[in-house]
Amino acid sequence: MTRRLTVDELTRVEGHGGVEVVLDGSEVKDVKFNVFEGPRFFESIIKTVHYEKIPDMTRRICAICTASHSLASIGAIENAFNVENTPQTELLRDLLIHGESIESHALHVYMLALPDFLGYPDAFAMSADHMDAVKNALALKKTGNMIHTTLSGRDVHGMNERVGGFSKAPTEEALTEVKTMLEKVQPAAELAVELFKGFELPAYNESDNVLMAIDPGERFGYLGTHVLVSGGERHQQEDYEKLTNERVYRHSYAKHSTYDDGPFMVGALPRVHLSHDKLTGTAQELYKEHSNLVDPRNTLSNNFCQALELVHDVERGIEIIDTLLSNGLEDEGLAAFEVHESRGINVVEAPRGLLYHDYSFDESGCITKANIITPTAQNAANVEKDIRVIAGNHVGEDAELMNNIEVMIRAYDPCISCSVHLVRLK
Amino acid sequence: MKPRIGIFSLTGCAGDQLQILNMEDALLDLVSHIHIVDFQEGSSHKEEGPVDIAFVEGSVSTETDLKHLKEIRERSKILIAFGNCAVEGGIQAMRNDEDSIDERLKEVYGVEPGFFDARLSKPLSEYVDVDLDIPGCPVEKEETIRAITSLLHGDTPLRFTYPVCVECKLNEYPCVIVESGKPCLGPVIRAGCDARCPGLGLDCIGCRGPVDSASGFAAEYSMLLEKGYSKEFILNRLRVFSGEVKEDFLGGDQR
Repeated sequence: MTRRLTVDELTRVEGHGGVEVVLDGSEVKDVKFNVFEGPRFFESIIKTVHYEKIPDMTRRICAICTASHSLASIGAIENAFNVENTPQTELLRDLLIHGESIESHALHVYMLALPDFLGYPDAFAMSADHMDAVKNALALKKTGNMIHTTLSGRDVHGMNERVGGFSKAPTEEALTEVKTMLEKVQPAAELAVELFKGFELPAYNESDNVLMAIDPGERFGYLGTHVLVSGGERHQQEDYEKLTNERVYRHSYAKHSTYDDGPFMVGALPRVHLSHDKLTGTAQELYKEHSNLVDPRNTLSNNFCQALELVHDVERGIEIIDTLLSNGLEDEGLAAFEVHESRGINVVEAPRGLLYHDYSFDESGCITKANIITPTAQNAANVEKDIRVIAGNHVGEDAELMNNIEVMIRAYDPCISCSVHLVRLK
Repeated sequence: MKPRIGIFSLTGCAGDQLQILNMEDALLDLVSHIHIVDFQEGSSHKEEGPVDIAFVEGSVSTETDLKHLKEIRERSKILIAFGNCAVEGGIQAMRNDEDSIDERLKEVYGVEPGFFDARLSKPLSEYVDVDLDIPGCPVEKEETIRAITSLLHGDTPLRFTYPVCVECKLNEYPCVIVESGKPCLGPVIRAGCDARCPGLGLDCIGCRGPVDSASGFAAEYSMLLEKGYSKEFILNRLRVFSGEVKEDFLGGDQR
């Protein structure tokens, strides 16, 4: 007899998605990660728009990863027009993307994922018994948002980071205040690791995963020009289409990516697994102590890896501010450059994984063609693979099975709003 | 009895409900004064039954959105269009005049008409009665808190009925149109952001949508033409957050 099990609407995730599992006796017949978030056709909307306003538009693909989209977009434009940035700009952007990671991971690790493991429907109910955890989460999140506001102008959909630099450099006073806040929330970041190290990774979610993440260069981070794959390969960002073959399915406004005809994963687990040797300080110590929790065969490790990244983000944020302050800040204005008919591609690590923007421009600098590939679209096929694995392991009754599947999907920190905007323009 | 609040979302980036989660200092206090019956992004807890105040973010962009919106209207006393997508149709409505939904599905997903249940993005007011607008992309946290506080006290929240220029002048920021010839939309966009962009030396991109009397759009259009911007450039600016700004409107007085 065939049974159809569903999660109609995933909660505590960004955007609208659901799950469908079809079982015939003990056999898994079909699984679907449904994305029913409406399409917004960004790549189509931005055609003919002048490059200068493109980041203001494409950052609105997503609220939680607005800075990642903005930096991916700005980078693609700068690659197209060969823009040279100052060291100050590079440092401020590095700080901005670390700030976004703090804000996003604090929300996900503490307020969206943690209630699963402590047995509450949400962080508000959880606060009755775990006020400390919730207050730590809010303090961390506020610090991440403070970085965003200081550098970008406000906490969602800012405007100050531009093609060629920052419209207005932050003041030394403002950065010193951010540093003080970062120092205050260091224990809150470490508490996240403390909490998640206590949750065992369930065997029912184990399977092989191909992992992909940015090559961060010398230090662990979220900016770079090359992509690492768990088999040991390294690709330049311009080869992204090979890494993200896309297909369209009726049940999903998100196209699904495959690599070598198989699914792959992006996000904190791939980043930490592939570049843990680039971690420093407390983050490196905590990695060494708990490296068994960074399990490439278990995607639920992603929660622990995000917690570890929170520790890194706070420490790295302080370091970057120290460098900026010792160099002294200047209102440098924006870099000068000339527009021409061209194409530019750029990759960044959004909090939930690799994000690509690819634009073509006409000779006046207006956009003629765009392609944007978001992390959740890349993860969609791997999520379906994991649903199949969990369903095939027959854990518990139907309700428990579906709950386990929901917890697994949440661990990917899916951003379903983002996932529907991967669109190719002719 | 605490008022029953629902935070619902249609098609958008979920940035307006994120702004509620971003009220770090006030969040727990706020939550203690209300009873949340639905908040998909923040909670797994859901209740049926009547809603006193419904915050609805996102635009109507699928058949599913439309059905969801009608159900929310049915069960809610006060329905608030929350954020630019809900108030104006959002950034995804800016090309409604240019392409049909079938053309876009073909172009973007390479699929035939009817493959998905997509429709042209429209604001909530196109389909249901809306009791209050809270504009912005995203909404301002302070404005949202003030609105909730007013409603909890049985008052009507204040609306900004003047343009961004007023706030820019009060801050004594240099005018980016006059000083640097930037295509600022401050003269025609609803205030309430404290002229944040001009404060950073940037031109207003209009994320709070048109001020109530949008009769200035024609004047803005001719002013930018005089500054040397092309018609296509100006339309691409004006339409991003202002729904369907019709071309003939630019020559007339009324929106």
